[in-house]
Amino acid sequence: MSCSNVTMLVSSKPSLPDASNLSFRSAFNPFQLPSQNSSSSCTPSRPTSIQCGLRELRNRIDSVKNTQKITEAMKLVAAAKVRRAQEAVVNGRPFSQTLVEVLYSINEQLQTDDIEAPLTKLRPVKKVALVVCTGDRGLCGGFNNAILKKAEARIAELKGLGLEYTVISVGKKGNSYFTRRPYIPVDRFLEGGSLPTAKEAQTIADDVFSLFVSEEVDKVELLYTKFVSLVKSDPIIHTLLPLSPKGEICDINGNCVDAAEDELFRLTTKEGKLTVERDAIRSKTVDFSPILQFEQDPVQILDALLPLYLNSQILRALQESLASELAARMSAMSSAYDNAVELKKDLSRVYNRQRQAKITGEILEIVAGADALI
Amino acid sequence: MTLNLCVLTPNRIVWDSEVKEIILSTNSGQIGVLKNHAPIATSLDIGILRIRLNDRWLTMALMGGFARIGNNEITILVNDAERGSDINPQEAQQTLQIAEANLNKAEGKRQTIEANLALRRARTRVEAINMIS
Repeated sequence: MSCSNVTMLVSSKPSLPDASNLSFRSAFNPFQLPSQNSSSSCTPSRPTSIQCGLRELRNRIDSVKNTQKITEAMKLVAAAKVRRAQEAVVNGRPFSQTLVEVLYSINEQLQTDDIEAPLTKLRPVKKVALVVCTGDRGLCGGFNNAILKKAEARIAELKGLGLEYTVISVGKKGNSYFTRRPYIPVDRFLEGGSLPTAKEAQTIADDVFSLFVSEEVDKVELLYTKFVSLVKSDPIIHTLLPLSPKGEICDINGNCVDAAEDELFRLTTKEGKLTVERDAIRSKTVDFSPILQFEQDPVQILDALLPLYLNSQILRALQESLASELAARMSAMSSAYDNAVELKKDLSRVYNRQRQAKITGEILEIVAGADALI
Repeated sequence: MTLNLCVLTPNRIVWDSEVKEIILSTNSGQIGVLKNHAPIATSLDIGILRIRLNDRWLTMALMGGFARIGNNEITILVNDAERGSDINPQEAQQTLQIAEANLNKAEGKRQTIEANLALRRARTRVEAINMIS
């Protein structure tokens, strides 16, 4: 029983575990004294009350204390990493902003031309590639499960439509999940590092690019967890390829806008608590020289720009996914920490009560013995 | 009026300062850019960027992208950029050999595309080192 409590506590997920821990606590009656004072073994007959000997209690208190320390440390580490993830987003800002500017100015000039680039080609869809971004580690609540469930749902949907599919798995958790399910065709396993960089995004982009250009797949979808706030993140599906020239090139209000209306999440402390501020940044499109000449064909220029756009989209998804993972871990660990504190309090109360009862019993015995001697 | 160069990658700003002259390798060949260049937009191949600061030449390996020149401002957007002096020669040489081997082994359209890209990247990195010496 002691073990089961500890594991339950560690694997606590923000939604489920609270309920189970609560039920444990409510069933436990703090005013109930253990019936046998010196019983050395836990009695399994009543699984919800704490009925252990003094030594077991001491052990349990120690182990809960350890768990508490570990979870607190993990929470702090996650909080520090969220800050680093946010820095990475800030560093990538000048690039994405300029990219949007350039796409905008080029789009203005190409509006009249009929352009066809390989990345924007719409083909009848026969096979779909799903890029699934998961985390590298567990202990972050329902984060990995949520995205994998979303992937499963999408796979079932594609099956229902009679389409073929293949999976590109990013992150250790996803890799182990898909290796355990050999019936899901996986194109490639990739591992995300501690902080997503352009190199990782490039690897994914190369893979996706070659799959699409060689016409092995006709559509690429990106499944990742969108960072909404520290306590909320949504697994979403985002169509990566084909890039629609309508949304992105011809009409700036379409696809391009999500890059222009970039949101910046910022971790701040408000009254001693961590909070997230999101700033919506509307990048203004600078008037660029109207007599811009194109060195190459507009098609070639688009060819050069679209992979950049693809890359920055993937990088962004990876960064959001990491931020959500860290936020999920932070909240999971903070609830685990709270549970550990609560459990420790309950356990030490029972421990003290038992100790006192034992001492009282011993004094009674001594007094009775002394009485008998007289 | 001075010529300002800004090299941006998704991760960071690699270069943002004044230069005298640059040589870009575009998809249609190399072009040199001096002060008061006509405004142009060009796509960049995987290749080398050479920068002149007074009398010193610097090289940078660019992994494909886009450049916009105008108003004495050069903005280069690339997937990745490395200064020639930051590249480890042994490592770059090794990557080149692996890439060559991979291309020979490649089967099918898709693998060839991938191997070709990797080979060109590796070759550019090696070239960027050799230009300095």
